[in-house]
Amino acid sequence: MKNIFYLAIFGMFGVLSCQSKEEILRQQYSIEGMNAYQTHCANCHQIDGKGLKDLYPPVIGTDLFQRVKDQQLVHLIKYGQKGEIIVNGKKYEGYMPGNNKLEALDIAEILTYLKEKNGLKTIFPLDTSRKYLSIN
Amino acid sequence: MQQKNIFLTSFLITFFLFSCSKEKKLPYLGQKTTQVHLNKIDTIYHTIPAFEFLNQDSVWISQKNLDNKIYVADFFFTSCPTICPKMKTQMIRLYERYQNNQEVALVSYTIDPEYDRPNVLKKYANRLHIQAPKWNLLTGDKKAIYTLGEKSYMVAAQEDKDEVGGFVHSGAFTLIDKKKHVRGIYDGTRPNEVDRLIEDMEILLKEK
Repeated sequence: MKNIFYLAIFGMFGVLSCQSKEEILRQQYSIEGMNAYQTHCANCHQIDGKGLKDLYPPVIGTDLFQRVKDQQLVHLIKYGQKGEIIVNGKKYEGYMPGNNKLEALDIAEILTYLKEKNGLKTIFPLDTSRKYLSIN
Repeated sequence: MQQKNIFLTSFLITFFLFSCSKEKKLPYLGQKTTQVHLNKIDTIYHTIPAFEFLNQDSVWISQKNLDNKIYVADFFFTSCPTICPKMKTQMIRLYERYQNNQEVALVSYTIDPEYDRPNVLKKYANRLHIQAPKWNLLTGDKKAIYTLGEKSYMVAAQEDKDEVGGFVHSGAFTLIDKKKHVRGIYDGTRPNEVDRLIEDMEILLKEK
């Protein structure tokens, strides 16, 4: 009886520490992502991510993360966007330059940050970012 | 006796405080020349010369359109991926603040006039929700625009194929008074610099 109790405690402890380890990593990604966002994205999309009028679409408070696949998100950041894109039902034209200097980790961090700001508390794994960057 | 001293001191302090709070005046920037007129020496301040360019509505805009207005000028191009968005974010602050003030105008010259034809500027203006005559986006002869930028508004701008976007330019906002004199230059990419610009615009609006 006592053993089971200990086991349960250990089990719980294990689960909790596992979770928090992952959560810590997510938070690290998010903080790094915030810095990278402010350096590479905020110029146009603004510090608060709300975009600029009808010129630059919002990336926080946006439906993009529900509609656009992860692969497309990675490619959008890395290679930019030409032609129109619809965000929150509104049509944006013009283009977004690519961010050639950003590596897989930068992009994973930016996406982790943006997902968090859009209410999705999940890490964007580095491996996923790497995988999509190797596909054209 | 002591009482008198205190009185004097406080008088002096008050006087001092008042002289300190004397209204701030804006400098005249650029080269000054002097001219003798009726046996008096007149100072002639650096002045923005006449110009004529097309705006986003394909209307010719010249200095006449800016008569009796103070205005803020900057240089940009619509496909600029670097500092222009920041500058436009700040310029929109001015646009919204002075939307109903007929004494204030905004002028943005494109440094990529070959691409930024009036129709391109029009689309850009529409997306920013801005309108002439409050905010004119101007295009025209490239050389004339660059010369005006460097010689008159004291803003650096030039083509550079190695630069992202193909042009280098400073993010400066130049403040011009009703007599076409340059009264201030600010970093239009920084919100606190634009706060200072707004303070100076308020001073300039009160100037006779």
